[in-house]
Amino acid sequence: MEARVELEPTRTAALQRGRAIVITSGKGGVGKTTTTANVGAALAALGKRVVLVDADVGLRNLDVVLGLESRVKFHVLDVLEEKVTLDEALVRDKRSENLYLLAAAQTREKEDVVTAQMVALVECLRERFEFVLIDCPAGIEMGFKNAIAGASHAIVVCTPEVSAVRDADRVVGLLPNDWRPELIINRLRPHLVKKGKMLSVDDVNGILRLPLLGVIADEPGVIVSTNRGEPLALDATSETGAAFRAIAAKLAGANVPAPMVKLPSGSLFAKFGSLFGGRA
Amino acid sequence: MSGRRIVVTSGKGGVGKTTTTVNVGAALAKRGKKVVLVDTDIGLRNLDLVLGVEKRIVFDLVEVIEGRCQLRQALIKDKRFASLSMLPAAQTREKEAVSEAQMVAVIDELAEIADYVLIDCPAGIEHGFRAAIAGAKEAILVTTPEVSAIRDADRVVGKLTAAKIPLRLIVNRVRPEMVKSGDMMSVDDVCEILSSELLGTVPDDEEIIDTTNRGEPIVLDDTSRLAIVYDKIARRLEGELVPFTTFEPANFLSRMFTMWKAG
Repeated sequence: MEARVELEPTRTAALQRGRAIVITSGKGGVGKTTTTANVGAALAALGKRVVLVDADVGLRNLDVVLGLESRVKFHVLDVLEEKVTLDEALVRDKRSENLYLLAAAQTREKEDVVTAQMVALVECLRERFEFVLIDCPAGIEMGFKNAIAGASHAIVVCTPEVSAVRDADRVVGLLPNDWRPELIINRLRPHLVKKGKMLSVDDVNGILRLPLLGVIADEPGVIVSTNRGEPLALDATSETGAAFRAIAAKLAGANVPAPMVKLPSGSLFAKFGSLFGGRA
Repeated sequence: MSGRRIVVTSGKGGVGKTTTTVNVGAALAKRGKKVVLVDTDIGLRNLDLVLGVEKRIVFDLVEVIEGRCQLRQALIKDKRFASLSMLPAAQTREKEAVSEAQMVAVIDELAEIADYVLIDCPAGIEHGFRAAIAGAKEAILVTTPEVSAIRDADRVVGKLTAAKIPLRLIVNRVRPEMVKSGDMMSVDDVCEILSSELLGTVPDDEEIIDTTNRGEPIVLDDTSRLAIVYDKIARRLEGELVPFTTFEPANFLSRMFTMWKAG
């Protein structure tokens, strides 16, 4: 694996290699895995070759959200430890020929992954896929460091909650300086924003100040779809699915406006800004 | 005095550990118990925000451990509940700044001055988790009735059992109407899958988003239904037999999950 990293790709090869994007948040439970699965499925539906990598060793869930848990036989660590080939570990999605999953090990520790090997693995995947989406674990410990190591771009997922924004702000500060992470605001409830009981898009991005990739409204259907392993992005009638598809189209290079939920603008949480003393 | 040392943990993030810690702690304090809340999520602290004391932080857990201040200097007393205080986590340090042994020492010291030491655990099962559970003698496992949360909780049950820490379950964000329609697992099923005793059931309630953002524990509002729920949990911790709300029988989703878990 190490040898592959040292093979400096030619300029042309570099242009052809896929994009490695880590989906991260700091705080857990804000929708990283749901976003990874849905954006991945939507990109594949656009004809892109996509691989989703679950970096949450010990607490994997991407396989469940994709409905592929019964097909997982091998995982990232099996590949890194050269027990199986990459091809043996890749699980093809049952709905799309273009979508693959590389599952995390469930009974191992995050510390078992060697960062350099993870980088080499992602390099390998970039040669074969147009998009490598890496589902990052919660927190900012070793699992986070390994997940961002091979990526060259980040999508930060955040919910309109003070704690999620604070954690997202911290994570942005930990990403490489030359990255320009993009933001997805998830689980927005417009009626609560209207009542002044939830942070608005402006409140959140007033703090984070990142390019906005999309806004996803809160919908109980997401719980149902993740429980059943059927990404909403593949449901043509779902509004949430449409929002994920628009995000995928943007990532694929289409010039589409950010899928916005109609909202009152302005800050309803005046004290909010003072909580953040800048990025440490 | 030797207080109880209870870690609030979950595996998966965002299921409500911090909200549970704050509200169960406040409910116990309301009942006259001396309670200390400890934020162990170094680098991603949030307990201070949920309790609304973020502007009053002077010292933190890491500074206590490094001997740069006394433990009592770092404790922040809540202004609404006389017997409630909290020890904040450091925000600009790494989880590795606190070893398991150091955590045990701090928790032991706090247990000398409190009836309850509630330890708010970080998400995941890495070093931060191991340090957080090191000082605990009991655990509250928080989960939501979602497949991914239960799968992560199942991993944590294994880790807690291996560490010989007894646990009880809080099933958070239950939506009875979704349970009824077969789109959400029932509380009974969650308990069965995790083979764990139930400590409490908390319904999903929009009110909690607002109170959390504002740093006002929902138990402050005696009229809110969640205040009653958290008070019941506090009473159960105190050893009272408080009846549970009954929920619907096993549905399609639960059966699927049980099959999946067996397979």
